[in-house]
Amino acid sequence: MSKLGARSVIGVPYVWLLLFFLVPFIIVFKISFSEMQYAIPPYTDLVGWADEVLTINLNLGNYYYLWDDSLYAKAYLSSVRIAFFATIGALIIGYPMAYAIARADASSRNALLMMVMLPSWTSFLIRIYAWVGILKNNGLINNALMSVGIIDQPIAMLNTEFAVYIGIVYAYLPFMILPIYTNLVKLDNSLLEASADLGCPPWKTFLTVTLPLSKAGIIAGSMLVFIPSVGEFVIPEMLGGAETLMIGKVLWQEFFNNRDWPVASAVAIVMLLLLLVPITFFHRYQSRELEA
Amino acid sequence: MSDAASSPMLEIRQVTKRFGQLSAVKDVSLTINKGEIFALLGGSGCGKTTLLRMMSGFETPSEGAILIDGEDVSKVPPFQRPVNMMFQSYALFPHMTVEQNVAFGLKQDKLPKAQIADQVAAMLKLVHMTDFAKRKPNQLSGGQRQRVALARSLAKKPKVLLLDEPMGALDKKLRSQMQLELVDIIESVGVTCVMVTHDQEEAMTMANRVSVMHLGEIMQVGSPSEIYEFPNSRHTAEFIGSVNIFDATVQGVGSDASQLSCTDLNCVLSVEGGVNAVEGAQVGVAVRPEKIYMSRTQPEQGDNWLHGKVEDIAYLGGHSVYHVKLASGKTVMATTTNVDRHEQRLTWEDQVYLYWSASSSVVLYQ
Repeated sequence: MSKLGARSVIGVPYVWLLLFFLVPFIIVFKISFSEMQYAIPPYTDLVGWADEVLTINLNLGNYYYLWDDSLYAKAYLSSVRIAFFATIGALIIGYPMAYAIARADASSRNALLMMVMLPSWTSFLIRIYAWVGILKNNGLINNALMSVGIIDQPIAMLNTEFAVYIGIVYAYLPFMILPIYTNLVKLDNSLLEASADLGCPPWKTFLTVTLPLSKAGIIAGSMLVFIPSVGEFVIPEMLGGAETLMIGKVLWQEFFNNRDWPVASAVAIVMLLLLLVPITFFHRYQSRELEA
Repeated sequence: MSDAASSPMLEIRQVTKRFGQLSAVKDVSLTINKGEIFALLGGSGCGKTTLLRMMSGFETPSEGAILIDGEDVSKVPPFQRPVNMMFQSYALFPHMTVEQNVAFGLKQDKLPKAQIADQVAAMLKLVHMTDFAKRKPNQLSGGQRQRVALARSLAKKPKVLLLDEPMGALDKKLRSQMQLELVDIIESVGVTCVMVTHDQEEAMTMANRVSVMHLGEIMQVGSPSEIYEFPNSRHTAEFIGSVNIFDATVQGVGSDASQLSCTDLNCVLSVEGGVNAVEGAQVGVAVRPEKIYMSRTQPEQGDNWLHGKVEDIAYLGGHSVYHVKLASGKTVMATTTNVDRHEQRLTWEDQVYLYWSASSSVVLYQ
């Protein structure tokens, strides 16, 4: 009975993932091997049955097309690069914040954590849109700088890669802070005291004790920022302008502008495969940590 | 090791530590000599840990000074003090091997690699942990972790070794074994050692001198036997071992013996030597249970006896503790060693006489 109970508890999320992740994935995977056509649905069937002949048409052309047209390679590389540097940015800002919250009085920690999470109560879209108002040429920052007289021409910030970095770091910062905080708050203070006792000054204690012991939190936070950032669409679309090339935008254009579902599906599949590398790495690391 | 005449290694001069309104340590002065094992003994909240943390530098005194080897270190940060501490939780770095843990302090001194390796090897040999050098702390047992923690805190050859509840994390059996081994190691190195403990047995087993602390103050400092046999206060007498304390009134003060009256006794209460109080003063008289004899018949001596009924017996194997209820309602404890297996022992509800010699009791003024 209890075994059945345990299985059903584990089973429900698995069924959920099967229905809403694996099945759509298979559908997308299938579409990526078909050909575009002007019809509903806008792609050909893989399996045909005519005159007692079963035909299976696997069109690898979409993948070849991704390989052939350098736009896609550039978009993938640019996405990974932007996600990578945004993750580093989030780490540089998020780690000290997580550290400060973890070191704060137990009574004020929850309030500080709440302030980190509070912005997420507003719609993601609205928060990104707010950045448009802050960064645009006659936006908050430029107007403020010009009225003080520091600049007389507005600085172009909106529709640059810089704006995309700001957007990603801002939007995903809580995902960096929370795992690092969870890790640091468990750090035994006597370890820091032991380090000091053995002659290690505070800055060196941070490098030799605190930082290595929070590695798991840093990796978890970095993955949580990096993985969704690679496929991010809203932020580059709204803040990045035409020059910023990210795979999420390309995907959107293939689906909705070109209505080329097969190529769009191929783009999605390749993106997933690319992300499998860091996810596998993350998973390996986690299971190794659990063993140790 | 009891080279008490040698120079002081650690001096605590009128140290007070306040946390807000609360004084955790009040005007404490102590001198700890080179090579001595010194125990700060007291219940929780008595200020012993705060005092230890001031020695290690994790807390700074609100008033007073701490001198190590003649040098005032009151304002010196922990990482610059020539003291090392073995933490109650051991605080071994979980991401480092045993070897790396022991080498940690030596690396801070930027010693040559070969010298560090030699010292680490010597330390691991000292604590019999050579075979475990490559293990991580979570692959060790509690006793092994303690050995590593000890090796780590001795590796830098500190002037003073601080032990915070050294046996706190061990089970009882391992505890008594490690107590003696720890003392052997500390004495073989010859380091001056200050330990904090709430366990009087541990303090008495390990330390050359013990100081009993209560509410931030030092009640008494002395060798384990001095503290046990000649407690200077009710608190010390009751904290160390078990004791019977009689409330008595001073009657006659003599130079060889003094007489007191006590309603619990059926006769006069006499103590050895003079009493430092005027006639009519109220004092306490402490008698340890093992110094009290029991008999079914009235003892021949004219003083220091009483009569009661056996109310409870705690059989502890080697000895038994009898709880005897007096007519006054007070319960007095007396122990007997169980020498003879077939002896007809006193049992519950038996009428019994308790008696002791005048030299067994201690007068307590506070």
